[in-house]
Amino acid sequence: MSTHHVLTGGRTPAAPASLPSHAAASDSLTRRQFLRRAALTGGLFAAPLIVPASVLGRNGAVPPSEKIILGGIGIGGRGTGVLNWMLPERDVQFVAVCDPQKQRREAVKRLVDNRYGNTDCAMYSDTREFLATRTDIDAILSTTGDRWHALMAILAMRAGKDVYSEKPSSMTMAEGQAVVETARRYGRVYQTGTQRLSEANFVFAIELAKSGRLGQVHTAYAHIAPWDAAAMRHDWLPGQPEPPKSECDWDQWLGPCPWRPYNPTYTRGGWRGHYDFHTSCIGEWGAHTFAQAQAGLDLLDTSPVEYEYIDNPTGDGMVTRFANGTKMVLSRGDKYWRGSCGMRFDGPDGWVAVADGYSRPEVSSPALLEDFNKVVNDYIARTQRPMSHVRDFFNCVKSRQNPVADPVVMHRSMSTVHAANICMWLKRNMKFDPAKEEFAGDVEANRLRSRAMREPWII
Amino acid sequence: MKNRTLHTVVALALLAAASLPSLAQDPTPLLTRSQDQLIAVLKSDASQKDKSDACRELAVIGTQAAVPALAALLPDPQYHHMARYALETMPDAAAGEALRAALGTLKGRPLVGVIGSLGVRRDTQATAALTKLLQADDDLVAQAAARALGQLGSTEAAQALQAALPKAKPENQLALCEGLFRSAEALAGAAQRPAAIAIYDQLRSNAALPHQVRAGATRGAILARTAKNRLNLLGQSIRSDDYILTAAAAQAALQLPGRNVTKLLAAELVLANADKQILLLDTLGQRGDPAALPALTAAAQTGAKPVRLAAVRALPQLRDAAAAPALLELLGDADRDISRAAQEGFASLAGPDVDASVLRLLNSDRSGQQLTAIDLIGRRRMTDALPGLLAAASGPNAQVRVASLRRLGELGSPADLSALLDLLLKANTDADVEAAEQAVGAVCAKAPEPEACVAQVTSRLAQAAPSQKGALLRVLAAVGGPASLKAVRAAVSDTNVEVRGAAIRALGAWKTADAAPDLLQLAQTTSDPTDQMLCRRSYLRLAANTDLPVDQRLTMCRQVAGLLQQGDEKKLLLAALGSIQSPEALPLITPYLEDAATKDEASAAVVGVADGLLRGQRGAQYASRLLEPLQKAAQATGNTDLAGRAKALLEQATNRARAR
Repeated sequence: MSTHHVLTGGRTPAAPASLPSHAAASDSLTRRQFLRRAALTGGLFAAPLIVPASVLGRNGAVPPSEKIILGGIGIGGRGTGVLNWMLPERDVQFVAVCDPQKQRREAVKRLVDNRYGNTDCAMYSDTREFLATRTDIDAILSTTGDRWHALMAILAMRAGKDVYSEKPSSMTMAEGQAVVETARRYGRVYQTGTQRLSEANFVFAIELAKSGRLGQVHTAYAHIAPWDAAAMRHDWLPGQPEPPKSECDWDQWLGPCPWRPYNPTYTRGGWRGHYDFHTSCIGEWGAHTFAQAQAGLDLLDTSPVEYEYIDNPTGDGMVTRFANGTKMVLSRGDKYWRGSCGMRFDGPDGWVAVADGYSRPEVSSPALLEDFNKVVNDYIARTQRPMSHVRDFFNCVKSRQNPVADPVVMHRSMSTVHAANICMWLKRNMKFDPAKEEFAGDVEANRLRSRAMREPWII
Repeated sequence: MKNRTLHTVVALALLAAASLPSLAQDPTPLLTRSQDQLIAVLKSDASQKDKSDACRELAVIGTQAAVPALAALLPDPQYHHMARYALETMPDAAAGEALRAALGTLKGRPLVGVIGSLGVRRDTQATAALTKLLQADDDLVAQAAARALGQLGSTEAAQALQAALPKAKPENQLALCEGLFRSAEALAGAAQRPAAIAIYDQLRSNAALPHQVRAGATRGAILARTAKNRLNLLGQSIRSDDYILTAAAAQAALQLPGRNVTKLLAAELVLANADKQILLLDTLGQRGDPAALPALTAAAQTGAKPVRLAAVRALPQLRDAAAAPALLELLGDADRDISRAAQEGFASLAGPDVDASVLRLLNSDRSGQQLTAIDLIGRRRMTDALPGLLAAASGPNAQVRVASLRRLGELGSPADLSALLDLLLKANTDADVEAAEQAVGAVCAKAPEPEACVAQVTSRLAQAAPSQKGALLRVLAAVGGPASLKAVRAAVSDTNVEVRGAAIRALGAWKTADAAPDLLQLAQTTSDPTDQMLCRRSYLRLAANTDLPVDQRLTMCRQVAGLLQQGDEKKLLLAALGSIQSPEALPLITPYLEDAATKDEASAAVVGVADGLLRGQRGAQYASRLLEPLQKAAQATGNTDLAGRAKALLEQATNRARAR
């Protein structure tokens, strides 16, 4: 449900400029030639060749009466799902896709062109060309692999775009901090794709926990992915000849990560489980569920201060504690719920649990559920947030307010992910200071808060 | 309670499939060797993989001792990143010295990387060298130097960046802006606000810079200022013809508490165009300052519809019961979107005064207002409105009565049962009776032991008119239990046709097999063909209940089989038999294989029984008894798929029978 309606008396939304595919052209340019051309043609600052946002009346912020011009980066399987949620939004026009893999960008073009009944969706293989030249684009859907999420969000926001980024949205605490700073610095709207924060069942559980009807909640349980380990792989898959850059730009695919030889398994999703590319079973679902749990505890602006190492492969049962003494327990099993991305809140007066696939949350007493509609409707009225994560993002692109999963929510919940991972990797208990964002008395843990990014992908 | 969706199942399957490669490989520890061993690897002719691994571990445990070996790798095309990977996180000053030393020797990407690492380490000793690199011919180097200088956060670095910006090549401008933002943030945090403001003003006043820079600088300039200067710039930016500056000011206002800011936003609201008005209304709502109430109220009453809607939606965000009168007035707005938004907002306001307003609406003599009140009572879960609802349920307006009864069912408890039964016995239209029946049923269902309600319900049967009696019987059927069954059974003998029919239907709707004997008897004795059919079909529905014991279901099927006349009922019988996992079901099914009207359903039933038995632990034991029915089923059915399944099961049964 949209909060805003297009003003009938406002400007007629201009059709997006019809652009040729730039993928082939960009392949024939060196990066320096391209950047120089982009600057000269207005991609950076000079008089633009492409119709700029300012001509369309947007100039970097979309008034309520205007359409939002959307572009996509790194859209694969998950990204296609998100794109399919976005395309029906009537005040949104998707105009271009960027991906270092030819097959994927062409698949997105087909999807978008079929939707609009034209051939207008432009394709790009180089991120910097895309961001610099498409000054008409207001917002970016970024659904790259985990290794690129934070960096892409930073580059896009620096280029003046608002960003909807899939999660896990950072590889390190330092990356998360940089996303927060960049969004604030340039006044950009950023939403991380923890979509359950905009689903009625989860909102109900969160609001119930915050309401006091369970008593003072003492424990939250958060789901971690059940199929993988907290420890990571450090091996390299056997090297194979790199494909032509026009098919798959391996250097760009790696982005800020350490170089390793090409193997197509990585680009087909086999990057999961590798230390350089993934945040383990804890990040895989913790990116969702830690934000959910921290929302219900009303502790979204901080992270736990204690992490108790647990000697099993996944971190199942790890107890973390916030400064106020509240516990958040990591759980991979079906002990507290059935289904994915579950969470549960326990208080002295009751409990509530929910996971994907529930028709309604489970509660300790049926009386708690009688207020389901009231709790959710009150939340919507109070916050003006729709029960649609993508719509919340688009509303905020127009209102310039923070979406429900803003950079701070992302960074703090992902800091919890990173701290729990570091606890598992170093196999010892950790104490963390959320104000200083550093571990107490543990130099090695502190050195794992960042990783040197591979040039030129430094921020 | 739980309903796993296909979506979840598919997602899990995909995730599981995607993770297979990682499941197939054992993860390895993060740290595997001592520093000495790692340094030895770096100095050896080990593979690129081994040396990279050593650097990754040294990033966590490396000390000054590792610096020489790492520094030696900085110029190496294969290792410059991984060497830096280890050095960047190393607290020892020797790491910084090595990186600074490399500034004068490296070019291209390796140099860009070293500059970045010095920025991350906030190495102020590199200020002069980085300042020099702002003029580098290599744009990537100059840009990295600009960002790194900003990260240093010093006055000296900031001045170097400020001086460089006007002379910068277009390619490098954005990096310089990034550096200046970083400088301004550090300076503002270090109590050097004038210096920070100077940077922000330099950036926001340069119209040639991109929108995001001007927006960020405007926001920063507002927040870095104090008191009157801050308000002046806030107002000036809101009034700007450039929407981006208005939006930036709105963002800044979200971080500025205080009544003065609210007053300023409210004053600007009057002067702004529609787009800006919506932006300002959203901002006022988000800030949640009750002082915005007069401005929001005024904006909600007149003007363009999108602006009015934004104002109506902002009102409840104030979370102040004082917004209630304004929303109350808008409940009756001619525009449905406005009235609906007002209703949603009003419903979310807390406080006894708001509840009192709703009750006043309920007591209105205007049915429209009463219906609005009833909706609000539901949304607000106002259990203290139950007396009012009971009164409204006896009122003159039919719509109000029905709506009140529905709400009573939602909010009421078993304690309200008596009053609801009174209403049911007063109901004299079909709609009223139906609504009262639903309300009575709903409160009975909330009782910890619903059968405790039965006495109250049955005590009213004698006073009830036929249509009301039917409603009570349906409630009893929903509640169930021996006392309910006794009452319904008695009503089957009622002299009134309507009551008798309702009793038979109540038996037909019974949830447990307790009613089965009555249904079978009625199927044989009642004179009305429709009632007979209803009883047979209800009986078959009970026989299909897989929660019942197998023997009981077989008995029920045997008893009813002879009564079945119509093809549809025979198909219902076959469906029930097909779900009974017993070889005893087969002799009851096979006769129907010879009837053209039922051969397909009978074949499906044979396949169902056989499939279940062969899957079970005693499949081999039953296999030989399945051969003939399966052969007949495969031959009888005209459905190719079904015949194929029968043959496959036949082969399976044959093999298992042989093996046995």
